Amino acid sequence: MFKVVKKMIQYPRLTVDYPKKPFDSSLFLSIPEIDSEKCTNCGECLTQCPSNAIVMDKASNNIRINYNECIFCALCEDICPTGSARMSNKFELAESSLKEGINKIFGRSLHIREVDAGSCNGCDYEINALNNPLNDVERLGIHFVASPRHADMLLVTGCGTRNMQNALIKTYNAVPDPKIVVAVGACACSGGIFKDCYAANKGIGSIIPVDVYIPGCPPRPQAILYGIMKALDRVK
Amino acid sequence: MCKELYRKLKETYPEKIYEGHVENGNELYLDVNPDKILEISTNVNIVLGFPLVSMFASDERNLSNKFAIYYVFAYREKSSLLILKTTIDGKEPTIKSISNTVHAAASYEREIKDLFGIIPVGHPDSRELVFHNNWPDGIYPLRKDYPSNYRPEFVKREQNFKKIKGEGVYEIPVGPVHAGIIEPGHFRFSVAGEPIINLEAQLYFVHKGIEKMCEGESIERCLYVSERISGDETYSNSLVYCQAVEKIANIKIPERAEFTRVIFAELERLTSHLGDLGGICVDVAYLFAASQFKMMRIWAYQIADLLCGMRFLRSVNKLGGVRKDFIAGKELNLVKLLNRMKSELEDTVNIIKSNSMFTDRVENTGILQSNIALDLNAVGPAGRASGMCHDVRKSHPYGAYKQLQFKMPRHSYGDVNCRMNVKIEECFESIDLILQAIHLMPNGKILEPVHSVEPYKFAFGMTESPRGENIHWVMTGENDTIFRYKIRTPSFCNWPALCHAVQGNIVPDFPLINKSFNLSYAGNDL
Repeated sequence: MFKVVKKMIQYPRLTVDYPKKPFDSSLFLSIPEIDSEKCTNCGECLTQCPSNAIVMDKASNNIRINYNECIFCALCEDICPTGSARMSNKFELAESSLKEGINKIFGRSLHIREVDAGSCNGCDYEINALNNPLNDVERLGIHFVASPRHADMLLVTGCGTRNMQNALIKTYNAVPDPKIVVAVGACACSGGIFKDCYAANKGIGSIIPVDVYIPGCPPRPQAILYGIMKALDRVK
Repeated sequence: MCKELYRKLKETYPEKIYEGHVENGNELYLDVNPDKILEISTNVNIVLGFPLVSMFASDERNLSNKFAIYYVFAYREKSSLLILKTTIDGKEPTIKSISNTVHAAASYEREIKDLFGIIPVGHPDSRELVFHNNWPDGIYPLRKDYPSNYRPEFVKREQNFKKIKGEGVYEIPVGPVHAGIIEPGHFRFSVAGEPIINLEAQLYFVHKGIEKMCEGESIERCLYVSERISGDETYSNSLVYCQAVEKIANIKIPERAEFTRVIFAELERLTSHLGDLGGICVDVAYLFAASQFKMMRIWAYQIADLLCGMRFLRSVNKLGGVRKDFIAGKELNLVKLLNRMKSELEDTVNIIKSNSMFTDRVENTGILQSNIALDLNAVGPAGRASGMCHDVRKSHPYGAYKQLQFKMPRHSYGDVNCRMNVKIEECFESIDLILQAIHLMPNGKILEPVHSVEPYKFAFGMTESPRGENIHWVMTGENDTIFRYKIRTPSFCNWPALCHAVQGNIVPDFPLINKSFNLSYAGNDL
């Protein structure tokens, strides 16, 4: 008992105050960015990108990165002959299509059901990490629940496999309205690197309607937290 | 060594073994008559005592007009692999099942049946494995004439589960969507009162078709796919793939890269084991200890961030070495962080070991008997807790492990406590290994790029991932592409073992037993 108390005094509080205070992301390897001034449109990255996330934007005739498909592999940085593709450390990348005023519906309490629809388990580990002492999302009124019937939000990971398709639809239908669906990770957003597999879908958007997309492979816990808060309109 | 074994087998079966050749130094391939496969594999498995570590088919109708099936046995004492290759005709292919004598083959044969349509004649349980009741009959995705992005229509068929009959016996169906934040899988418990009589695990909910997708893709792209086979085994899977391709390309990677790889592989093991130990504590509702382990896991992730900026160690490996010199200049900091981790781990282990209520829950729970572990080729910490004493780092030493000292934990009772102890001891060994690697690391290059590979060459890669023996087989195609990529992660071997370990235990202990094995669904389903 004495040893336990000693530990409690030794480590009083590990939790960081994100999103109120910014999170130190200086070490992160995150989404690549293309410097359009340096870029010569040689197309090297276009042909080699493992998840075909880099596309030629016809309108502006510039090379553009599709955030939802990028797997953050840093290959474009390595092969770019002009050095215009650089890995950045931005992690607040979530995109929400929800209208303003959503925070009035859910207030300061949100219950989440997580569904793995065919991920590699990386995203699930990161969602698990939201409950660790560093992130501790319960401080923000966010709880993970055991049944979809208790949930306000579905956090879905994975590309939506053939064998999970039915289970995902059933889980979606079991969540009472109003509900929010969040796609976590490149696979859930677009199918990621697995989009051409015979038993996978091109993201869960082709199975159920999705409101918020969180890119990343896997997205960091703070990126997922940012996505959830963005869905609730609690961050700018 | 292989030659001696070849001579011996050739003497025993002069007519049935057509020809043999040694590849990559320690892989002995023998061409075997398909009618005699049962006899020979039984002999190899039972008399010689070589465990079946992998088994796969390959559609080689373009090359030889036949399907090939490879039975891979490990000769662990001599760091070699014995591969029995048998070829069968393309039309209505069948093969004699070896599952009745070589029990580990049961799931492999069912998998081959679903993906290639090769019927194992005499298989004790030939139900569907990979596809649930929604896949049309007669379509086999891993055959070469199946287009890789073709998604057939859904059909509906009856799903058969094993029925246990008797007075008071009832079923508890669980999943695929579970209460916790874990991967999908369906469990059927047959119980009478509280004890579990039988557990049937229906997996393959996250089957995507990774093996098919890799066929025809460039060797470079498949590296990124291999990193995404299973979340927390990212590094081990990419390492095993790199090993196989480097063997085919006949490249010796620089020594500094070998040591860097050891550091990352051990960091991954440490992170994974800390997560498991935390999970075990959560499942017995010991939240103080769980938070301690979670805190240490956060520290492990901070080390990963410091080294490469990726929590799951993705984009570290490259064919022929590592992407950057990740260690240079960070040695002192790394040593400091590891020493802090070591002393904290010692303190926490002392606390949990002196808690009798905790010990009471983990002792005698979920015993995996050593004869079952041997029959099913249970690998990794689960095997080592049940008296199997092998570790790929010792039996097939790779990379810089030959130059490093470490002990292999050995326990024999096979309960949750033993598995937990194996993991605790391995955590300390991992920290020591990283410290040794930092100390012994030479200066120099970190990458010897692989530019091209010869077509139709093949090689095995083997590593000890956090969950155990990880074996991948790569066969190259034309223009630096993959012809066939067989992935066998440790979870594939250990899932059947888990189903045996829970028998006789009460249902509320299932999460605890499951966590002590910590199997990957994605790594099994592919």
